[in-house]
Amino acid sequence: MDRNQITKWLKSPAKMAHKYSLHAVYFCTGCGIIEIPPVITTRWDAERFGVLPVATPRQGNLFMITGYVSLKTLKAIIRTYEQMPDPKYTVGFGSCPINGGMYWDSYNTIKHLDRYIPVDGWIAGCMPRPEAVFVGVTHLWTLIDKGKADGYLRYKRYYAAYRRNQEMLFGELQWPPLYPTEAEAEEARP
Amino acid sequence: MIASLRTGLEATFKGVEVTDREDGMMFVLAPGESIPAVLRYLREHGLDHLALVSCVDWIEEGELEVVYLLTCYMRNNTDYGPEQRRHVLLRTKLPRESAELDSVIGIFENAEPHEREIHELYGVHFEGHPRLIPLFLERGYEIPPFRKDFDTRQYVEKTFGAIPPVED
Amino acid sequence: MAQISEIAGSGSGRELELYFGPQHLGMVGNFSITLKVEGDRVLKATANPGYLHRGFEKLMEYRTWIQNFPMVCRINVVEPDSMEMVYAMAVEKLAGIEVPERAQYIRSICLELARVSSHLFGLWAYSNMLGFDTPAQWAMYHRDLVLDLFEELTGGRVYHIYLWPGGVRRDFPKGFRDRIVHTLHSIGGWVPDYDATFFNNRLFYERARGVGQLSQEQAKALGATGPVLRATGMKFDIRKVEPYAAYDKVDWEVPTRQEGDAYSRIWVVRDELIESVHMVFKLLDAMPDGEVYNRIPNPFKWRIPPGEAYVRCESSRGELGLYLVSNGGDKPYRVHFRTPSYPHGLTILEKALEGASIADVGNTMISLYVVAPEIDR
Repeated sequence: MDRNQITKWLKSPAKMAHKYSLHAVYFCTGCGIIEIPPVITTRWDAERFGVLPVATPRQGNLFMITGYVSLKTLKAIIRTYEQMPDPKYTVGFGSCPINGGMYWDSYNTIKHLDRYIPVDGWIAGCMPRPEAVFVGVTHLWTLIDKGKADGYLRYKRYYAAYRRNQEMLFGELQWPPLYPTEAEAEEARP
Repeated sequence: MIASLRTGLEATFKGVEVTDREDGMMFVLAPGESIPAVLRYLREHGLDHLALVSCVDWIEEGELEVVYLLTCYMRNNTDYGPEQRRHVLLRTKLPRESAELDSVIGIFENAEPHEREIHELYGVHFEGHPRLIPLFLERGYEIPPFRKDFDTRQYVEKTFGAIPPVED
Repeated sequence: MAQISEIAGSGSGRELELYFGPQHLGMVGNFSITLKVEGDRVLKATANPGYLHRGFEKLMEYRTWIQNFPMVCRINVVEPDSMEMVYAMAVEKLAGIEVPERAQYIRSICLELARVSSHLFGLWAYSNMLGFDTPAQWAMYHRDLVLDLFEELTGGRVYHIYLWPGGVRRDFPKGFRDRIVHTLHSIGGWVPDYDATFFNNRLFYERARGVGQLSQEQAKALGATGPVLRATGMKFDIRKVEPYAAYDKVDWEVPTRQEGDAYSRIWVVRDELIESVHMVFKLLDAMPDGEVYNRIPNPFKWRIPPGEAYVRCESSRGELGLYLVSNGGDKPYRVHFRTPSYPHGLTILEKALEGASIADVGNTMISLYVVAPEIDR
């Protein structure tokens, strides 16, 4: 550990702690999940980077959206994302969540994931190689260090817009809003 | 065997057309109401594996064609003869506006999800199916999405193009 | 996202509804099962697919014959090569294209390597789910070695787009044959270790015996194929029944078991894996020299005469069929894949889960070898 690291640890221990223990939610959203088992097993060994899969979103802080997102999955993704505790980081894995990828004309997959939930970083490719995951993770560290991985804060700030986009697709959502929308916040003000 | 199946089918059912192809595939065209009976007949005559139920939208003729593809399992474990390579393709033509067919779950149990899928993606109604609820889709569509007059590119532009970015 | 919602209490115990998946550790792939449970016993299971539906068959109607090759392999991410194979076979049948003999051998070798990698993936999923971490780590490592071979041959780790109408894209690189032999030898050398830690392990026997049991009659009635059917004693294998590529040129056996439960299914997978490795050695020995590719017409102007075809091949999960209709245009008119996971994951799974315990749900599902994207397409 170099001196630079020590000052960082002293300055913001919480940030350093969750930066080096990214717990990925085990959710197979698309075909990108095929590269996750090699990444977490012996050959590539994501544990070197502090990345571990966890069983439930309530213990995770890294959400890798692996591959195309169909409408039905998007619903599950939103619910999973809202269950995760702050601070949480989302990484889009593969070309399809970025702009639809090769399913650009499919009636059942969404095209831009960042219009429904905030995304902190993208790993492009179809399939991205395991090394790309590690480059993505180290890049995410830098973003966390600089305070730029603020997707969870943006979700809170622009919640009304995100919720409106979600409802444009699904109609009325079956679950209550996570944060008070602007109208409700206005009402609650004395 | 194939020749006897052909004569048997033509003798038993009215309005059934049978054509053979040299690669071992047999095409049977039957009217919609006799589909369960023909399937039962074929099953009794050795074609006991319903591989696939499919549907083709012939929009120019105004017809939906439902296709049942039958092959056979093995009788015993040393049997790798040409008998095993038979494929029978049973089809029926339905009008596009009022496509209705009897369910064949009673004959082939594995037809159940296939019929659900065709109902969802092509809008064919299967009479007697216990749960014709959506299988794959989350949203409702005005035209069932696999029909030829459903333009997925137009739909994508209209639906997903309308959703604005949240932040720049 | 496992949630419990209480529904009407009835009888002695209380009936609960349990959502198993899509976000669940016991679930492989994006798939969901709704279970109605009483205590630990499953009363009724309802498979709930569609999380991966992309409408492939519709999208393929918008793309030319050659443009569809990158599409088809993405239907089954675990074993993309058999998808390419079945589409190439159908196109060749409709267009009347011959395949050179060397290409037939290369295709067979490629498909067997894909089967090895797919079975190792299945082994990873199954042993990981039962808590055998050591063989799971080995299996994933050994799968990666096979992927390295594919990467050298085709340029892609996961998606290869290597099988092509008229043959394969390119011949083996120099010295590739030796590297196949070396890799497969080193995987085969681990079989005794796999046996000792997993297959002959009493825990595996106790955990898998009798789980999701099917009789041969049931399996036939529900449309089972592949290892699920072979575990009930039938030697039904498309590679023997309707030989394609070079499978009729070499001598090999179809492994079977009699019991029809999860235990015998996983044993069939293990035996098949070993048989595949042996088959690759035999194919490599018998492989002739020559061309690997018959030229196809200009793909931009390529029209295929009207007609329809049903072709099938044996993927690692069972009978993979393709019903392809052409109306004489430059694009397919209708494509429908008959994927093996479709009956396994929808009809058989619902049947096999009735009366099972909750702990055996993942066990049953993975032993039935279900890949969710294959179901949804």
